Amino acid sequence: MVWNLLLRALWETLYMVGASLVLSALVGVPLGIVLVITEPRHIKPAPLIHKVLSTIINIGRSLPFIILLVAIIPFTRWLVGTSIGTTGAIVPLTVSAIPFVARVVETALLEIDRGVIEAAQAMGASTSQIITKVMIPEAVPGLILGLTMVAVNLIGYSAMAGAVGGGGLGDLSIRYGYQRFRGDIMFFTVVILVAIVQGLQSCGSWLAARLNRR
Amino acid sequence: MSQIMIELANVTKIFGQGEKRVVALDNVSLKIKKGEIFGIIGLSGAGKSTLIRCINKLEVPQAGTITIAGQEITRLKGKELRKTRRKIGMIFQHFNLLSSRTVYGNIAFPLEIAGVKRSEIKERVLSLIDLVGLSDKISAYPAELSGGQKQRVGIARALASNPEVLLCDEATSALDPETTKSILGLLQDVNQRFNLTIVLITHQMNVIKEICDTVAVIEDGRIVEQGPVVEVFARPRTPAARRFMKSVLPTEIPAEIQERALRMDDRKQGGKTVRISFVGDVAGEPVISSLIQKFQVDVNILYANLDYIKNTPFGSLIIDLMGENQKIEAAMEFLKDRGLELEVLNGGVEPTA
Ligand SMILES: Nc1ncnc2c1ncn2[C@@H]1O[C@H](COP(=O)(O)OP(=O)(O)OP(=O)(O)O)[C@@H](O)[C@H]1O
Ligand SMILES: [Mg+2]
Repeated sequence: MVWNLLLRALWETLYMVGASLVLSALVGVPLGIVLVITEPRHIKPAPLIHKVLSTIINIGRSLPFIILLVAIIPFTRWLVGTSIGTTGAIVPLTVSAIPFVARVVETALLEIDRGVIEAAQAMGASTSQIITKVMIPEAVPGLILGLTMVAVNLIGYSAMAGAVGGGGLGDLSIRYGYQRFRGDIMFFTVVILVAIVQGLQSCGSWLAARLNRR
Repeated sequence: MSQIMIELANVTKIFGQGEKRVVALDNVSLKIKKGEIFGIIGLSGAGKSTLIRCINKLEVPQAGTITIAGQEITRLKGKELRKTRRKIGMIFQHFNLLSSRTVYGNIAFPLEIAGVKRSEIKERVLSLIDLVGLSDKISAYPAELSGGQKQRVGIARALASNPEVLLCDEATSALDPETTKSILGLLQDVNQRFNLTIVLITHQMNVIKEICDTVAVIEDGRIVEQGPVVEVFARPRTPAARRFMKSVLPTEIPAEIQERALRMDDRKQGGKTVRISFVGDVAGEPVISSLIQKFQVDVNILYANLDYIKNTPFGSLIIDLMGENQKIEAAMEFLKDRGLELEVLNGGVEPTA
């Protein structure tokens, strides 16, 4: 019984975090790239686009998750037909992670030596070739570390997503551990959460180090 | 040889506005011949990098035109510009290799972006790796290479798309003297092998002396002098060029000698301390002994320096000329007639006779 509960909650957490990580990366990575290349003196300077995008991202990042969660309920309902349940939780998680991903990608891409990008320009590389063949490959270790950080954050937020009936480990520990005084469930959920975070971070760090040729 | 490969006409580049306004290039005009090694030398901040970066349009000048092999690059945009850039290789002071790619991958990069077939890429890359002598480092990453090896990869990468022009931005400034020599040797080799036009900027005199045919001296964004290396180095015509040569030549008059020459003034005993600069054949002539025999002046050699630029000797000699003033004057005329450059380092005593 307890194991079933835990297993089901674990699955819900992994599903919420995994799906929102992938979805937020799909939007956030391109945003991060645009943020970088539109900088002054980068490969496609565009001060206005840069400024507008940067402002929107800052606003997105400054909204507390719990407020965002509630504020976008109509949007969530419109998008996935429901604002509750695991699927309903993925939408706010994704929305909150997008600006985070964009900044993380920006940081990783800005770390690349400008000289290398310039060399590619001098060789006649196009903007898309510079992005796909120079910037992203050169930034891989930084991108992995950054996305690991986003994933760890999403695990934390996914606990709050229990508030909209999203399920998951955080939700389980509140409903059983806290509200029904089930210390054992509280204990196990915490142990599992810690283990996931630890495992994720170790994998991310290992992979980033492994792929770092610098 | 006399075909013009690169021509800059009245190129002006200004950075910033208002207070921060910097005129990096001020109405620069240059002609670079096909197949030559053209050096541009100048102090830090003179505008060397800006100049070379204008040639492949990494910087866009505000005025003037730059023509490469008959094509006006300053007009080109987008796809056409990219296509032309493939014909202009470039190497850098800090190599700028892709750290995520091996030696092979780095050299293959320009071919990949040009859409060359995989099998052709392989053939070309292997022959280039062989050319630059890195066959045993083919799968090494840049972090595993020495500076000299990295620059060899840079050169191979720049040559991959068979360019007609190679731009070198301080290509040896991060290397030790020994490695610098070997990289310069490689550049000279590819210059001759492929009749490649090389434009090289540097603040190191030795680099120019070692391999350049022609040199331009740049100061505060202006070309103050240009011509064959031997001419410009040994006999700078403009004050600006002379000032520059003084600042970079370690073979300037040692301080003790200068002091000594001035002290001679105090002694009021006559005689002059003269610096004789010479270039080319005169270096082999027995001028000093003729001086003593013909003019009966005493000669005291204080300092001598001989150097070679591309097999042409040049150097300077500092001597005391002692004797009657008239004879000293005559001796100096004689030296001038031999095509030697004279500079009196002290006034000597005003002729009384
Ligand atoms: N992107 C830029 N923005 C503003 N000023 C610049 C820029 N690039 C160069 N400058 C200025 O233009 C002038 C020429 O610089 P440049 O880099 O061409 O000199 P350099 O001769 O290559 O010097 P160094 O030997 O130190 O490399 C300098 O005063 C420099 O400060
Ligand atoms: Mg420079």
